[in-house]
This record gives sequence, C-alpha cells and structure tokens, in this order.
Amino acid sequence: MKKKIAILMFSVLSSGSLLTSCADYLDSDKYFEDRTTLQQVFEDKTRTEEWLAYAYSFLRNENAEVASKGFATIPAVFADDMYFGDRDYESFHDTKDLGVLNYNKFKLGEYNENDYNASWGTCYKGIRQASIFIQNVDKNKEMSSIDKLDYKGQARFIRAYYYWLLLKKYGPIPIMPDAGVDYTKNYDEVATPRSTYEECADFISTEMIQAAKEIQYLKRDMENVSRPTKGACLATRALVLLYAASPLMNGNTDDFAKKLVDDKGKQLLNSDYSEEKWAKAAAACKDVMDLGVYDLYHVPFNTTNAPGFPVTMAPPADGNFSEKSWPNGWSDIDPYASYRNLFDGDVAAVDNPELIFSRVNNVTSDMNSGIEALVIHEMPIDLGGWNTHGMTQKMVDAYYMKNGDNCPGKDKEIGRGDGSERLTGFTSRADIAAGKYKPLAVGVSLQYADREPRFYASVAYNGSTWEALGDPEASRRNRQVFYYRGSGNGYINAFSYLRTGIGVKKWYNPNDYTTTHSYDNIKRKPETAIRYADILLAYAEALNELDGTYQIASWDGSKTYTISRDINEIKKGTNPVRIRAGLPDYSDADYASKDLLRSRIKRERMIEFMGEGRRYYDLRRWKDAPAEESLQIYGCNVMMTAANREQFQQVVPIYNLPSTFSDKMYFWPISHAELKHNSRLTQNPGWTLND
Amino acid sequence: MKKYLFMLLMLIVSTVSASAQNTIEITGQVTDSKNEPLIGANITVKDAAGLGVITNLDGNYKINVKQYQTLVFSYIGFEKVEVLVKGDKHVINVKMSEEKVNAVDEVVVTAMGTQKKINVTGAITNVNVGDLKHYSSSSLTNTLAGNVPGIIAMQSSGQPGRSTSEFWIRGISTFGASSSAYILVDGFERNNLDEINIEDIESFSVLKDASATAIYGSKGANGVILITTKHGKAGKININGKFESSFNGRTKTPEFVDGLTYANLMNEANVTRNKGVVYQPEELELIRTGLDPDLYPNVDWKKLLLKDGAWSYRGNVNMSGGGNTSRYFASVSYVEDQGMYNADQTLKQKYNTNANYKRWNYRLNVDFDITPTTVLKLGISGNLDKRNTPGLGDYEAIWGQLFGYNPLSTPVMYSNGYTPATGRDVTQMNPYVTATQTGYNEDWTNNIQSNVTLEQNLDFVTKGMRFVGRFGYDTYNYNWIHHRMWPALYKANGRDAQGNIVWDKMRDRSDMFQEAGGDGSRREFLDLMLSWNRQFAQLHNIGATMKFTQDANIQTQNLGSDIKNSVSHKNRGLAGQVTYNYALRYFLDFNFGYTGSENFADGHRYGFFPAFSMAWNVAEESFVKKALPWVNMLKIRFSSGKVGNDNTGTRFPYLYTISGGASGYNWGSTATPNNYAGTFYSQVASPNVTWEIARKMDLGFDFVAFQNRFSLTMDYFNEKRTGIYMVRNYLPQIVGLDSNPSANVGATRSRGFDGNFAYNDHFGEVRWTVRGNITYAKNEILDRDEEIKVYPYQYERGYRIDQQRGLIALGLFKDYEDIRNSPQQSWGDVQPGDIKYKDVNGDGVVNDGDRVAIGATSTPNLIYGLGLSLQWKEFDFNLHFQGAGKSTFPIYGKNVFAFSERDWGNIFKGMLEDRWISADISGNPATENPNASYPRLSYGGNANNQQGSTFWMRDGRYVRLKNLDFGYTLPKTVVNKLHFNSIRFYVSGQNLLTWSKFKLWDPETLNPRGEQYPLSRSVTMGVQVNL
Repeated sequence: MKKKIAILMFSVLSSGSLLTSCADYLDSDKYFEDRTTLQQVFEDKTRTEEWLAYAYSFLRNENAEVASKGFATIPAVFADDMYFGDRDYESFHDTKDLGVLNYNKFKLGEYNENDYNASWGTCYKGIRQASIFIQNVDKNKEMSSIDKLDYKGQARFIRAYYYWLLLKKYGPIPIMPDAGVDYTKNYDEVATPRSTYEECADFISTEMIQAAKEIQYLKRDMENVSRPTKGACLATRALVLLYAASPLMNGNTDDFAKKLVDDKGKQLLNSDYSEEKWAKAAAACKDVMDLGVYDLYHVPFNTTNAPGFPVTMAPPADGNFSEKSWPNGWSDIDPYASYRNLFDGDVAAVDNPELIFSRVNNVTSDMNSGIEALVIHEMPIDLGGWNTHGMTQKMVDAYYMKNGDNCPGKDKEIGRGDGSERLTGFTSRADIAAGKYKPLAVGVSLQYADREPRFYASVAYNGSTWEALGDPEASRRNRQVFYYRGSGNGYINAFSYLRTGIGVKKWYNPNDYTTTHSYDNIKRKPETAIRYADILLAYAEALNELDGTYQIASWDGSKTYTISRDINEIKKGTNPVRIRAGLPDYSDADYASKDLLRSRIKRERMIEFMGEGRRYYDLRRWKDAPAEESLQIYGCNVMMTAANREQFQQVVPIYNLPSTFSDKMYFWPISHAELKHNSRLTQNPGWTLND
Repeated sequence: MKKYLFMLLMLIVSTVSASAQNTIEITGQVTDSKNEPLIGANITVKDAAGLGVITNLDGNYKINVKQYQTLVFSYIGFEKVEVLVKGDKHVINVKMSEEKVNAVDEVVVTAMGTQKKINVTGAITNVNVGDLKHYSSSSLTNTLAGNVPGIIAMQSSGQPGRSTSEFWIRGISTFGASSSAYILVDGFERNNLDEINIEDIESFSVLKDASATAIYGSKGANGVILITTKHGKAGKININGKFESSFNGRTKTPEFVDGLTYANLMNEANVTRNKGVVYQPEELELIRTGLDPDLYPNVDWKKLLLKDGAWSYRGNVNMSGGGNTSRYFASVSYVEDQGMYNADQTLKQKYNTNANYKRWNYRLNVDFDITPTTVLKLGISGNLDKRNTPGLGDYEAIWGQLFGYNPLSTPVMYSNGYTPATGRDVTQMNPYVTATQTGYNEDWTNNIQSNVTLEQNLDFVTKGMRFVGRFGYDTYNYNWIHHRMWPALYKANGRDAQGNIVWDKMRDRSDMFQEAGGDGSRREFLDLMLSWNRQFAQLHNIGATMKFTQDANIQTQNLGSDIKNSVSHKNRGLAGQVTYNYALRYFLDFNFGYTGSENFADGHRYGFFPAFSMAWNVAEESFVKKALPWVNMLKIRFSSGKVGNDNTGTRFPYLYTISGGASGYNWGSTATPNNYAGTFYSQVASPNVTWEIARKMDLGFDFVAFQNRFSLTMDYFNEKRTGIYMVRNYLPQIVGLDSNPSANVGATRSRGFDGNFAYNDHFGEVRWTVRGNITYAKNEILDRDEEIKVYPYQYERGYRIDQQRGLIALGLFKDYEDIRNSPQQSWGDVQPGDIKYKDVNGDGVVNDGDRVAIGATSTPNLIYGLGLSLQWKEFDFNLHFQGAGKSTFPIYGKNVFAFSERDWGNIFKGMLEDRWISADISGNPATENPNASYPRLSYGGNANNQQGSTFWMRDGRYVRLKNLDFGYTLPKTVVNKLHFNSIRFYVSGQNLLTWSKFKLWDPETLNPRGEQYPLSRSVTMGVQVNL
C-alpha cells in the first residue's frame, strides 16, 4: 500500500514537471497566429501594394516639392522669385497666424530648430518602410517575378528619393543600413553620424542605378502614372550629381563649409574641387537624354481663336528657330500655350512627354496647401481668390523681351542696370484696337509689353486679364484686374493684397474659377517634380563648367561618353528650352564665355522654373544666395491709386518684404530632439545644438 | 484543470488506511494555575488527527488512547502540555500555566510553510496581527505604516471605499510598471489586501529578501506578503464577536478666508499689478453687511458642504470549533463608512447622495480528517462592496469645486430659487449642488474565492515527508451605475437700470439619465508541494521541498478589440528549497524558483532565480552560553540571490501590430484613380523583452535576551534592479519608426535598513511592552531611458526615483535695481516682490536649464513607529505613534497660487499672512520683505511665480499619534456567570494628534493641491466578546 502511494506521489509531481515541457502552458503564440503578420502582408498582392503605398505616402505634404506655403516647411516658396503675403501675424495681428512661419520671418532667419521640421522624420519613416518592402517583396505569391522586381525597384527609388529630399534640405545626412537599423540596439549603437555630401550623393546615385535596372518601365500607363520609371531614377541621379558638382559642395573652403562637420570633425562639404564631378553630372544627364523617351511638351501652332486659346502669337523672326519646325525651331508650335498648359492641368500627366517624375495629384491630402491652393492664392479677391501669392520685380525683370533682349531698366534699382530706364506710358484704346502690344489689354503699363511668352503664361501684371471662362456669371469672365489702391484688388489694410503689385498666374487655367475660395472648380494640376527641361538645362550647366575632357561610362556600362565643353552638346541642352519659350538662341559670344553662359543658364532656370521650388536650392548650391537673397525686394508702388498710375508703375522698395541671408540659411536646422537622441549627429552651422 | 482535480481525488482515496490496536481509557481534570477548572480545554492525541475531546463544566475529560501515545492539552492563552501515556496510570490531571510569549519559539509563516523563527535565515517579518487590530480601520493597508518594519506606506485619501494606503516593501525600488508587493492569502494570489477582514487573519508575514522570495521567481522582486487565515481547532464551539462604531472627523482640512477678507485681497492683487480695484468701497460695505446676498453673498462653502464628521460601523462574528474528524472556522463581518457631505434631507426617501461604503465579508474554512494522515481543507470566502457617491461628485471633483468657490462666487441659492453656478463647465458647478442635486452613483464589487487543499502526511513513505496540494478558483465582478442629473444653473450679472438682476443662464437642466459599466476577472491556481524534514543524530536537521505552481488570470470584461487582451495572464513554476542546520547553530539554505510568464517571447519565458542564505546562531555556542547566559538568541543572517518582476504593464510586448487604413497613395490621377491606403507597423515588436531582475543582499541579526523579554531584529539590505521594462522614447527619427519599442533598460539601486525591537516586563501587576520599528530605504536610478541632456544634473540617473525637481528660489526681488542686477528670468516680466531664482548653470538666464533636484521624493523614505502597551488587572492601554521622514512634496494649484485663476479658487486662511506688500499699498516699507513667505499678489496667472521651485516645496515629515486604545475586560467571575469567556469594552482614537511643519492640510496625503477627501481623525467605541 505504502509503496503504491509513494509511486503515485512521485507520478503526480513528475507529471507536473512534465507538463512544463510538453504542450507548453505558457505558449500564447497559438492565439496570435491569425493576427496580421508580415508574412501574410507580403504574400497578398493588395496588402503588398498597401505597404508600398505607405512608403510613398511621405512624399506628400511637408515633403512636397511644388506646393503652396501651407505647411510652411517647403522652402520652395521662400526664394526670391515668388512670395506670399498672408499668414503674417506681425503685420496683421490675426491670432490664427500666431507662430506660423511666414515669408518675412523666414527671410529674416526667424525660424528655429524645433518647428517646421517634420520632413526629417517623415522621410526616414518612408526610408524604413521602403527597406522592409525591399527585404520582403520576394515573398509574394500573387505577383510575377517581373512585377516583384519592378516593385522592388520602386521601393528602392522611393527610398533614395527620400534621401535626396533630405540632402537638398538638410545637407549631408546619416545613411541608414540597407535592412533598416536594428531598433533593439542601445542608443549608442543606433547613433549614426552624417555622411559627407559626396558619400550621400554616391549612395543615392548607386541606388538609383540599381532601381533603374529593377524597374521595368520607361513609361507608365494612366493608372500607374505616379510610379517612377527608369527615367525617373536616372534623372534624380543626374540632379544629385549636379548638386554634388556645384560650388557649395565641390571645392568649398568657406568658413561655413569648415563648420559643417561630422562628430569626428570631418568636413562634410568637399573642400577639394573636382571638375570631373561636373562631367559625371553631364554624363548622367546624357543617360536620361539617350533614353529617347522624353521631349519638351509643346502645343501646335494655332490659327483659330477659341476661348482661352487665342491665335498663336508668333515670336519675332530670328532667322534661325523661326525658320525651322520642332524640335529645331518654333515655326509650328505655340510657345505661350506650350508653357502654360504644362502647368495648368490641361495636359494629363500620362500625355506629357516632358514629365519625368511627378506626384501627380498626391502633393497633399490637404487642398489648402497643394498646387490648387497656389492658384486660389494667386487669384484676385474679386474672383474669389486670396490675392496673396505675388512676384518680385527681380523676377519680372528676369523675363526677356520677346526678341530676346533685356527689358528696359532691368534691375536698375538694385544697381545692376545697364543705364536704360523703365518704360513709361500705358496701352491706349487705340493701341489695342490697332492690335498692338498683344496680349495686353487697355490701360496696362508698357513695361509689360512685348515680353516673352513665358512672361504672359506666368505673370499676373497690373491689368492682366483673368479668363475664368467656367464662371457661370458672365461679368466675372475675362475680367481685367488692376492692383491700384482703392480698387477691389489693390492695397488694403489686411493680408489680401499683393505687396509688389505684381501677381503670379502660373498654374492658372483659363477655365479655373472660384467663389469663396472653394477648390471645386479649380482643375487638378499634375505636379512637376522633375521635368525634361531640368535635365536639359542641367546638361548645359554641367558641360559649361568643364575645361578638360572626360571618359565617363553610361549608367548601365553599355557605352562610354566623351564629355567636354562642346558648344554643340551644350546647345542640345539650351536650345530646346529657348525654342519652346519662343526665344532666339544665345549669341556666340555667350557660348564662347564660361561666365556669360553660366549667367545665361542661371537666368534661364530662374525663368523656366519660376515658383517650382528650384530657385531656392539653386541659389544655395551656386553660393549665390548670400548676394541674391539679401537684396531688397522691389515692386510697384501699391499705395498709388488708379489716378496716379504712373507712380504706381514706379519701382520702389517694398517696406514690408524684408530680405536677409545668413550662412545658417544654407541648410535647414536639425531639431534639438534629434540631436539629443542621436549622439553622433551634428548640427548645421549657425543653428543651436541644444536648448 | 480537471486533470489535477482527478489526481487530488486519487490521492485522497488511496491514502485511506486504518489500523486498530487495544485502547485504554484515560480520565482526569484540567485546571489553571489557581486550580480553577478549565472548561472547554482541548485534549488531542499527538500525531493522530481527529482524535480529541474537550473538558466539561468541571474541567473533567475522558479519552481512549493506546499505550505510548502522547496526549496534548491545549487552551487558548495557556501553554501547551504534553503527557506520554504509559504504564497503568489511567488518571492524568493537568495544571496549565498561562502562556508566555516566547520569541525563540515564535513561529513564522514562509513560502514553504511554517518554520520556527530560530530556523529562519532570510529576512522575514512576522507581523503581530494583534497590533494591527488595535487600529480601527476598514482597510488593512492603513494599519501597516509604522507597524510593520520593512513597509513604507502612505494614505492619500479618506473617502469611504477609497481610504486605503499605498505601500511598498522596503520602499520603491523600481520605476517600472509595478513596484507593488506580491500578495498571497492562504497560498493564493490576491490583488488587494483591503478586501480581507483583519479578524480572519491568523498570521501575516512579510518576505523581504531574496532567500525568502526566490521561489516566487519572476513575481517576487517587490517582496511578498503571506497571509494565512484562521482555521478551526477541535474542541467546543468558540464564538468571538467584535462590534465597534467610530465617529470620523478630519485630521486637517484647509481653512478659507471670509468674504470681506477675500474681496480686500482681490483688490490688492489687482492694485499691486497696476490695475484698478475690483470691489469699490460701497461694494465692500455690501459684503460686510450682507444686504444684497444675491450679488454680494458671503458663503462658507466648507461649512455648508461638510458635516463635522461621519460615522463608521464595524461588526464581526466568527465561530470555530470541531470534533473528531472535522474542524471549522466561519466568520462574517460588516463594515459601513458613512460620508461627511451634507445631504438634501428632502431626497432622503428617494436615494442617498452622500459618499458611503459598505462591505460584507464572509469566510468559511473547514478541515476534514479523511484518514489519520490526510487532511482536506475547504475554504470559501468573499466580499461584497457597495460604494455610493454624489452623481457628479465622484473622486475628487467635488473637492475641486469646494476649493474653487470663493465666498463671493454665488450664494447657495438665489433668492428667486435659481440654482447658481460660476462657470458653464461641469467642474465649476457649485459644490453644494454637486453633492446634493446631481443624482447618485453606485459601485458594486463582488469577490468570491474558493479553494481546496489536501495535506497528506507521508511519514509512512519516509519519515518527515509531507504532501500539500492546493487548487483555487476566484471570480471578481465590478459594476457601476451613475444616475446623473443637474438643475438649470444661473449666474447673476449685476442689476439693470430698474434694479432687477440680470440673469445669465450657465447651463440647461438635465433630467436624470444613467451610465453604466463594469469589469470582471477570473483566476485559477494549482499548487503542489512535497516536503521532507528530518533530524539525524540529534544534530543534523535537513529539509527539502519541491513545489509546482501554475495560475491563470483572465479579464472577462472591457476587453476591447485587441485579442491580446483576452489571453489569460499565466504563470508556471517549479521551486525548491534545501535547508540544513547543525544543532540549531549553523544554518545553510538554498532556494530557487524556475518560473515562467506567458507575456514574453519563446526563449524569454522561463527564468531561473536562485538564492542562498546562511545563519549562525551565536547564542548556541557553548562559550556564549557560559559567558552570556542572559542571551537567548543571537543569530546573524546573510542572504543573497536573484528574484524577478514580470509585471511590465504591457501585454505581449514581443508582438508587433500591423494596421491598415493609414495614409496611402494614388498611383493614377484624379481622372483615373488607383488608390491604396497604407499598411504599416502601428506597433513594432520588442522581441527581447523579459522580466526585470532584482539582485538582493541582506545582512541581519536577531537578538533575544533577558529571558525573552527583549528582542531586536535589524536588517541591512542592498538591492540592484536591472532590466526594468521601459518604452524607449528616444530613438532618433532616423530609425524611421511610427511607434516606440520597449526594452529592459532601466536599473536602480536601493539600500536601507529596517528593524524592530520589543521589550516587555512588569512592574508588580502592571505588564508593559514597548516596541518600535523603523524602515529606511533610499533608491538611486542607475540607468533609464533618457535622452542626451546638456547639464549632468538634468539626468534622472544618479537621483532617486521620482526625485522632486525645480528651480532654486533665492527669495523675492527687493526692487527694480535688484531685478536689473539679476540674471534674466524667462517667464514674463518680473516686478519687485516676485520670486527670484538662482541661475544654476551661470548662463545669465534663468530657464528650464536651471531646474535641479530639490529635496527628496514625495513618497517618504523613512517610516517609523513606536508603541507602548500596558496591562493592569482588567485594564489595558495601548499607544502607537507613527512617523514619516525624508519626504518633500510640491504645492501648487488655484488656491496655493492665490487668484491665479482669477475668481476661481478660494484663499487659504493664513497662507497670505506673511506676503510681500508694496509700500504704496501698505504705507509701510517694512512690508516689502524680500524674505516673506508669499510673493506679491497677482490676479490671473503669474508664470514666474508659479514655476516649480524650492519656494513651493514642502517638508512632508510628520509624526502622529496614530492610535490610542483603552480597554476594560470584565472579571472572569462576572463573565462566566453570563456564560461568556470574556467581554472587553474599549475606546480608541485614531490620528488624534499630528506634528508637522506643514500646516495647510494633512501631510500624509502628500497632495500638492489639498483638494482631497481628508483623512479621518476618529474616536471609536466597541466591545469584544468571546463565548
């Protein structure tokens, strides 16, 4: 009996411990097997798309490149071409604007390390999301291997593109491991220093080549138009290499560059000039051009007058482009409509041969800050707009006359005049009846007469006509809008007036109209993140800097380019842009001189990309920002009424648009929190390290 | 579970064995030392459970035993007597002597069962339950502070049903999710000590060091409390009753100024900031005379809302007894704590709006002797709580209003019958309305606990072997219903030209509506233990124990949509102990726990927690015995080991969550959309997360001397906590996460000592005892999740957990010259009379970078108690002081910062007495005192003066007469005639006196605003009977 009990006792105890090993009581994983797992996400096509969609989603909002000022984090709207006058608490004391980064605060450097810095975090979120995608997309059971490769390429493009956005805005940045950093490591191990600009550019360049190999498309169909193509990868690479070759990053020995170092004191902007970098940039542009899929967007010559589409105004004959048809001349195209339609939504993204990469309609989920918001903020008060996005006199002066000359009195007030005076006088009824000064209407300053087509597609000068053809109310259509004090759109004691008396019309579609600032009748406009004109002008710019000759392999190694300052090659970059704009070619003297041509190309970029966000970064990479951004902003004398219209057209300093530049404004500040969390991170010069 | 029940049953059935031999009849009489017969004394046969009789009215007994069996005579309050039956002696008369408390023979309940105190090598406090009972409270936790060495406790509220204390064993030693002790009642885990009826407690031990707690493995790091409840003893029925009622006043609540003082101060607050007066002289006159009570009332809200005190009633009856084969203990108790709000008498018939708490406890423990070697114990216990509060006045809301209304805010009721309110928000409803006119809330809690224990003596297998198996099942339910309403509320806004009051309607009336909810959980336990103890050669004592435990706890309500919430909290573990001692002189113990939690990933679930301890009982050495014969025990103990804490506060941190529906992308265009929403890790996984680990070291000694009259125990402890679970908040954004992972990153060190002494003796017929105890614990953060700080003093590491921080105040600015010559302060313009702060880092600006550690923590680091008991004939007297030290807490809020929320916030009487007043107002330059204890008054917020700083830090030290108790026991001669065993009447007082530097409200609450239901100062009368 006792023996039996003993046996039983031990069996009870041992069964207790046995239970531990078999059918683990504590194993809860069985309950969680039906929760969403990463495996399931990537096996399923729709969820894989969703994973990728989240990776793309950070391209929006604060990381948009062409947008209105809504996020106050997009430097694009803070250059010297375009400004905005609202959100200005200091001037108008509207409490809802309190603490918002307005144009003036920005221009005075009155922004800090901790506000408006979301783009740093969101770009890196996109980078991690894309990295996980790259690691896992091969698990998919519903996608073909070709599709999987293409999708992997897309994720790789997006990831490299986020680095590019960061690099432009913040300067050299930390590059994360390919698989994403192991977040379970301790803070010291996670801490990552900034790579040099060159390393960042090389990294993006290599990744973009890999992405171009993986991506299967040179052109996307309608439903996939905002996905990148091989061309998008190569074009981004070309721009990255162009930036890396530019004076700020190439051979920079300024104090600023000496102060921009990593945690070990290594200078992050290269102090040794390398001309070959320009050659590499040129070769990368050539890679895009040789794809043979891109062309500048152009509209055929139009002989019939239709609402919003007037008969083509042929540019004055130059004996060259005027004699030839596209692509060698402008005889069969409408330069004004070509440039205008590129932005105003008339041409769908998929039909636009110039568009290399675009967020299309994904700029923002918040209409108040997207391209449509730009339009509403350009439109006059009388037509239901906000009347706040305006243009500087410097920008107005940059536009050529239609024969390619400078406008009279150009930049006179900022000490860069050629001795000529600005035109006085206004178009008369008789002039208009006689068909002079097209497309000006009656009563417009002659300063705006006979300018190049891009001027008329971009500038809402005093007395320009807003078509608003879609407006059901006839009286609101084809209205001429003046900015005289006392008129409905002139100076008032609130933000809704144009400080310079010059407005912007780019992106406005003749059919666009609005009432009470609604977006319902504003046509959606595809974003122009990278267009072929970028590559063409980059090609010309890079070639112009060369003295030597370089043998550079093409992106896929299939051929070798011989790159040098070859005028004919440079013209392949400059001519299409000039032709599409309806302007004559630069003179031979221009082409002969590196310096002259450089300033021509800079001016061409200023005009061609007005308001598209290029100018802000261009001024910085050229190191022109200290001079250009600290110039006083000029404009019309908005205090004048219609009765004193001559005085209105006199160019005066705009007292409430100050402008300064200090070195710290080269790069956006890094937030204190990020510096506190990454012990190896270093701040951009001029910004504080900590609070 | 069925499996285990079946096994238990098998055991029961299989252990039935019986044997028969010839028996003899023994008779005799049992008397006390004065030869008075003892009625109802127990006579049992040693090692033969169930065979027992009791003496009759003459003290006589009769029992059948076998030769060489031992009779055991026992009676409550008397020393046990054992007599061996041998030879022909068939009459055994026994004279029993009254029991002496013997510290050496004291029994201690440990994790593995009961042990004699002399054998204990770990740091275990055996709490004298009698000491706890002196303190009349509905909550057990309120009795711990100053009574139990090793426990730091504080009570923060006196609200009925919430008047409990927070406590920590050896202080707070982690900043992780849980720093609270692991509580076991009869071997089963309980969340809440307060649901236990004090009268049911047989023993109460606190296990403090690693050797005592290692076997609880991943649950024992914060210390363990072991409670056993009473079981019946064979013998005649023994009935105990205790009935008491208390009148609960308040220890200390703030006093407020009257209307006229308020108005004058308000004027000064405005004038001193260069604004005009608020109350014109004629208005002050109206306030003084009270001629316009609608517009210029003068209400003492406190008097209106609060009664002088409230009553509590507590009653308890328990019965125990048993016969040959079974014993029982049954108890019922009832507690009622009434609230101190004044109620609207007209509603009395409908419902009660007052705060109120009622609790019924019951317990039934029945032991069956299934065989001579097998005992089966059944336990059923439970408690039902009901808590009542005013409709909108639950928790502290009503106190916020009481502190918010100033005497001039509104009258109680307008003369036209309108109900007043100062603000539109619910929180600004007038407190009297909140307490009486807004309906009522009811909360119920039901706890039912049942358990079965089987104890099998396995001496027949091998001597000293024993098996205990336990199974328990608990359910918990909590429900609440809020019946809420409010009247239309108005505010008088002056008078119009005709002299009629202009009414502003603040809020529309709401008819009564209700909201309801609840919570619930269910628990299962299984616990199997096999132990063996044996002595060899009279010198070697060896013991070994193995224990298997498993439990599951599942929440049954409020589970939400995440399936993680519905998975049971589970633990399983195997624990063991090996003990050895040589001649009660040298002791060596080894303990281990191998336990697991379901909350962690595979590979991180199980952990091994070893500990060892050793002791040397110096007093047993012959040279000590010879040289120091007055030393009864001197034992030096040392222990060291590892324990865990698996309460991370987060379910399954190793799992990630993937969510869809995030912002996505359109790969087409508006014309041809191809939209996808985003899918991403909404929570990343933290795969390596596991429990935190405590490495504990304890060095202590037990000293007993002078014929057991004096005892002293002291322990020094040093503990290092590592792997404290924390969310990692400071990963840089370059990592690219949408959520923060967690990890075991924190580390702390905690050091301190605890100890207690007792001395008892007598002067003639007066028996007296003095006892004291002390607990001091100081912790330091060694590591935690922190971002890079500019100045080293800004780190939390290197300082205490919850270290108070703030600016260093240098007094008040003397004049503008002083302001100009001082570093600039970053919180708005300052004027003379504002607080001046120290520029700690010397950067010329006083800002957030100048905040440093100031004072200590709000939780006291030191708790001590001192008690005195006297007994003379039928009288007994008990006195107990409790104190707390090393505690600093900030004060702030709408009352502390007078007028900071303009007219919302009353003014504390006395607080502004010593304030800085501009000479322009007082006409006396002496009132511009830079050392005044209150800065220049402000109307509206004053960011500079309201910064957390030493100016507003208060010393939380206090000493209080926690308990005073006086009792009279009726003489036995009288009592026995009434067929009672004893009757005692008593009067006691709680929290009668408090000494503290802090005068505004009760320092023990450590409340920074004082807006809290106050602790009670109570007087209790009661009677205890035994029959």
